[in-house]
Amino acid sequence: MSRFLDKLFARFNIYREPGYYGKYDYKWTIVIDLDKCDGCEACVIACHAENNLPIVGEEECSKNRAFNWIRIERYVEGEYPDVRVKFIPILCQQCGKARCEVGCPTYATYHNQDGLNVQVYNRCIGTFTCATYCPYDVRHFNWFSYKWEAPLEQQLNPDVTVREKGVMEKCTFCIQRIRAGKDHAKDEGREVTDGDIQPACVQTCPTGAMTFGDLNDPESRVSQLAKSERRYRLFEDLNTDPSVIYLKRVMKQTKQ
Amino acid sequence: MLKRRDFLKALGLGGVGTGLGFMLGESIKTPATNLIPYVVPPEDIVPGVANWYSSLCTQCNAGCGIIVRVLEGRAKKIEGNPHHPVNQGRLCAMGQAGLQALYNPDRIKTPLIRKGSRQSEEFRAITWEEALSVLAENLMKLKIASNTEKLFLLSSVIRGHMGHLFETFMQNFGSPNYIQYDLFQHKELIFANKVSMGINILPYYDIGNTNLLLSFGADFLNTWLSPVNHSLGYGHMRQGRHGSRGRLVQIEPRLSLSGANADEWIPVRPGTEGILALGLAYTIIEEGYYKGQDINEWNKILSPYKPEMISELTNTDNERIRTLAREFASARPGLAIAGENAASYTDGVNHIIAVNILNHLADNIGKTGGVISNPEAPIKKTQSLKDIDALLRNARAGEVETLITYNTNPVFTLPHNSKIQEALENIPFVVSLSCFMDETTAHADLILPTHTSLEDWGDDITEPATGYNTATIMQPAVSPLYDSRNAGDILLSTAKRLGNRLQKNMPWDNFRDFFIESWKTIYEKQRHTYAGEPVFEDFWNKVLTQGGWWDQEKRTHQSIHFIKDNVKRFISSSPSLFQGNEDEFPFYLILYAHSGYYDGRHANLPWLQEMPDPMTSVVWGTWIEINPQTAGKMGIREGDLLLVESPYGKLHVPAYLYPGIRPDTVSIPIGQGHKTYGRYAGNRGSNPLDLLPGISRHETGTIPLNSTRVKITKSSEKGNLVKMEGITKEFDRQIVQTIPPYERRQN
Repeated sequence: MSRFLDKLFARFNIYREPGYYGKYDYKWTIVIDLDKCDGCEACVIACHAENNLPIVGEEECSKNRAFNWIRIERYVEGEYPDVRVKFIPILCQQCGKARCEVGCPTYATYHNQDGLNVQVYNRCIGTFTCATYCPYDVRHFNWFSYKWEAPLEQQLNPDVTVREKGVMEKCTFCIQRIRAGKDHAKDEGREVTDGDIQPACVQTCPTGAMTFGDLNDPESRVSQLAKSERRYRLFEDLNTDPSVIYLKRVMKQTKQ
Repeated sequence: MLKRRDFLKALGLGGVGTGLGFMLGESIKTPATNLIPYVVPPEDIVPGVANWYSSLCTQCNAGCGIIVRVLEGRAKKIEGNPHHPVNQGRLCAMGQAGLQALYNPDRIKTPLIRKGSRQSEEFRAITWEEALSVLAENLMKLKIASNTEKLFLLSSVIRGHMGHLFETFMQNFGSPNYIQYDLFQHKELIFANKVSMGINILPYYDIGNTNLLLSFGADFLNTWLSPVNHSLGYGHMRQGRHGSRGRLVQIEPRLSLSGANADEWIPVRPGTEGILALGLAYTIIEEGYYKGQDINEWNKILSPYKPEMISELTNTDNERIRTLAREFASARPGLAIAGENAASYTDGVNHIIAVNILNHLADNIGKTGGVISNPEAPIKKTQSLKDIDALLRNARAGEVETLITYNTNPVFTLPHNSKIQEALENIPFVVSLSCFMDETTAHADLILPTHTSLEDWGDDITEPATGYNTATIMQPAVSPLYDSRNAGDILLSTAKRLGNRLQKNMPWDNFRDFFIESWKTIYEKQRHTYAGEPVFEDFWNKVLTQGGWWDQEKRTHQSIHFIKDNVKRFISSSPSLFQGNEDEFPFYLILYAHSGYYDGRHANLPWLQEMPDPMTSVVWGTWIEINPQTAGKMGIREGDLLLVESPYGKLHVPAYLYPGIRPDTVSIPIGQGHKTYGRYAGNRGSNPLDLLPGISRHETGTIPLNSTRVKITKSSEKGNLVKMEGITKEFDRQIVQTIPPYERRQN
């Protein structure tokens, strides 16, 4: 019986093997250097512009329903005058072992061939399971169909779906840019090279704190940066295998 | 029996036959009967394929280069121009939001003329023909009555050719009264640098290569001078150089975004920033770091600033001053900058000059990683000698008959106490050239809608540049959405209507012609530097493609000389003066530029309204920052509505408990409190500028933002404070992990 079960689950167990996603062509990764990040929020607005995020207004904001696929969290240590402020941009970590994928009853969220954790809006029925399971709190729910006041809708990016009421959404690592980059490389008959593709947040980052690339390519800049001794991943002990790698902020430790 | 293969053959033949027949039929038809009307599409539009136009960001005055992604004639995204020396492909939040200025639902769509009295704020749409003849008639009247000097033209700070056109227009009309005004004009900085280093243009602060950056109230990562370039430098300073990581020490009473990134924060007493800088300078002299011949003289000048003597006044430990001075002098290169916050006292110039002295004594002037000189601009700087104070004075005296404003909003950015509204009431005819119905435009009698920067031609000479000349071109990325016009075109057609000298001296058909002709002169003048482009047309095409012209090879190596004799009279040992009695008004008030709304001009962009403020995460409103200890003593909780009173005004604003501010100081961001600025900005929050007295620095014509004291009373109501953050403590969750500097080795 157990042999039968093993056989049956063999194809599921494959996902549990370490390095499984390394077998894919690409393993997209963002490295964020917290020693460079100054918390200016340029990435937040770049994301709004690229991904058709709606503006929800003051009242909805007070109910914590604002859309920020990437947000800057700020942590304050100490009391005046010894105040230390730390910033961290938090976006979907594109987990290798994603909690959200386990829960979704409609397979609206699944892993794609690049190791990205993607959301199929047409499948989503808004059960909120994924958002409940997500330890990073990066999923946003469309409580309403938000409208743009004309002519603001002329700015909408045609490469990105405009979401309707009842759908969960989150950061995609700008999958439309990844696809365009891959198509472009294919047209030229080559592989994607490092630096071809940049998500909107990485592209605009004024301090150059963010780097995007393929972790499978040992020569890529992210692979180099990921070797840093300052490397850590958010809530790594939860075993989610995030694709976002942070580099520790260099700062004096606070007096305990 | 028909075989399968034959069947397919027959089918194929038939198919070909049908095709042939169709093609024959098509070829017989005359072209006019074709059903496809869009046979020759516009050459630059391919459905689904983006065009990128390089242009200029006008969201603040830094002059970053941008590229605009345009699909089927609509602008979709703005990104930094990767070749531009200032921002190198990067862009801040304000720059990213430029699209919402173009597609803003509250833009003025046609020319408007006032219907009733100024109070009614009712306008009637008219045609351009009518509007321009109303304007020309009015100006003609001035001309006939020989009152030409009673025409005033007020614009935002324009460093490009638009400013030249305005100047030419005013000269030929016969009025010396062209004024440029913005709330953040850095006039104190320019003045202080002129006095202490003899330079007319802002130098380049080389943050990227410095080892120790001392920032005296400069929010350089957020709003000061050229935030994107400073951010690039900051990233380079921290992690861009092999083996060395630059340090940042922020000296300011209220922790700004830049201060939040500092290794050390010195919460100096407001108004003593310059004194602290001189204390550092004294230590550098005393401990023998300065090697100049005139060391004795400096010793004498700086003797009142012994750290032990100023420790009490600046509220800073004397050992800390001494240690910092040693570190700064041995950083080589170090860099000290004085920002808007330190310049916003009544004696702001003194503070900046003190910081310049510190730079001089630590030998940072003219060094890589220090203060680097910029070459003279390739275009003559617009001579705007007068300031907004002149307009107010003349208007009150009835010396202004007609005022034309362009792209600036003094009714909002000047305090109510400056009597700007009364001044405007006193002007019989006010014309506003504007995209939006801002407060100043709402006071106008004739409103002429202008293009937004994504629809317009223009240019900008970057200041401060990055050590070499940089000129950026603004070209239309999309065709105009509404019946708006270029401001230069409006003046040129007015000149035509006025005839005579104006028409003769301004013969251009439109602004673009004038602008290209001006670039031709630059090209001719500096021809030797364009070896690659022998013809102007080639040069012009290159300029349009790459977004501007810059000559990285041609850095100036002119050194900046510190002028010691000039600075002596600006050294004063008393701290800045404050309006309001200390007993009655116990709190210092600090006003600062919001990272999204800047001076209030972007409050109508919904993206920026909903962008959480980096330091408080507040959205869609105004707040007052107060130290939690002070708040605890006064029984104030977060969100409580406070009544803030200064000797000049009062306002209600909700409290935010902010650990990064001195207990004797409160601060409010500028930007909200618009009366009329569209659906997103109108009647939202409050404008803290109304707490200030009028213009009190008459030599520069600016208002000191930080020279007022206030008192605070808790009101019984709850304020409307919407913030996005939950709690700012980590509770050992190890979210932002840190590593102490000494443990860190290279990657």
